[in-house]
Amino acid sequence: MTMADEEAASLLRKRVVSLEQISEEAQRTIDELRSRDELKTQFLSNISHDLRTPLAAIITHAEILRDGMLGELNTKQRDSIGGILSGGHQLLDMIDEILTYVRTASDQITLVRTHFSLPELVDQVRVLNHALAARKHLTIERLNGDDMPSIYADRDKVKHVLGNLIGNAIKFTNDGGRIWISFSRVGADGEMARVEVGDTGRGIARNHHELIFREFAQVDASPSRPHHGTGLGLAIARKLVELHAGTIWVESELGKGSRFFFTLPLYPAAD
Amino acid sequence: MGARILIVEDSPLIVDAFRVLFTDAGYDVDAAETVAEAVERGTKTRADVMLLDLTLPDGNGLDIMQALKERDSLPRVTLAMTGHNDAASRRSCMDAGCADVLLKPVPIVELLRKIESHLA
Repeated sequence: MTMADEEAASLLRKRVVSLEQISEEAQRTIDELRSRDELKTQFLSNISHDLRTPLAAIITHAEILRDGMLGELNTKQRDSIGGILSGGHQLLDMIDEILTYVRTASDQITLVRTHFSLPELVDQVRVLNHALAARKHLTIERLNGDDMPSIYADRDKVKHVLGNLIGNAIKFTNDGGRIWISFSRVGADGEMARVEVGDTGRGIARNHHELIFREFAQVDASPSRPHHGTGLGLAIARKLVELHAGTIWVESELGKGSRFFFTLPLYPAAD
Repeated sequence: MGARILIVEDSPLIVDAFRVLFTDAGYDVDAAETVAEAVERGTKTRADVMLLDLTLPDGNGLDIMQALKERDSLPRVTLAMTGHNDAASRRSCMDAGCADVLLKPVPIVELLRKIESHLA
């Protein structure tokens, strides 16, 4: 071995050692990040449960007052109690969203699949959102679906996804706008149902199409943003759709409305 | 005296709210914050209705049902109350003999109606 060869071999050995060190360090960082992420999830879970209990007490007390169980109220007092209740329920919805996120993030969600009609479920979610939409003079239409075969999925989870998408559409569409839901069958043999939730709202810039499905992400994250929320709704929706082996995505341009799509298998997976 | 209701719940805030509600609705109200206390109170005087929180400091609320059953003191109706609505915990409550599983906070009108219909 020449001197030059020895030098090269020694240099190579040093490089290998240094790469091994870097790799070990990277592994340590990954482990630490993972453990911090678990801590964060655990913290969110604990704090959400702890927030829920006093809130449940506030809501129950407010209902007792509202229903006149402790004496009749005048109109102003009733309105004020109504404010406590609607604020309380809004807070409760946000806490529940965090809890759902925690359960999806830590893989604590198990699907309970049954056969059910997707259009019927959509109609239920439309009814649930009717009052909210009416306040902004929005219409929510189901365009088709009467001939859709029943789907094999977790009804509650699909309802959650639909509620989320329709809720967002209401939130981000200006007065007098339109929201629609339509169905189609996709896949080589039409084995997937594709659901579209569209709106005539403000739209989403192309560079935000991925961001909005990330947890805690909001296109406008400033404290003065007009629409508040946990920023978890679409992250949860994506997780729930993916648990069903489906996909979710958005097609949108700023100022031109949004069309959210998700797919779900129509039939049980063949083993 | 109205029907006897045993509230098993570890949050004094919730117990206070339920005390106001059920006293006003004419029930004879008792409360326990732990599994041990619930078994003791439930055995001493058999309740007509038990409102059962599942997560208690010293164990699972459903264990109370088994203990009261062994002491021949199971209330006529047990309604479980849970903070999260998942199929698995619902199933375990129904298997344990609960008449219903309610998601907290239960709207009071619904709660009173459910209890009355189960007692009827």
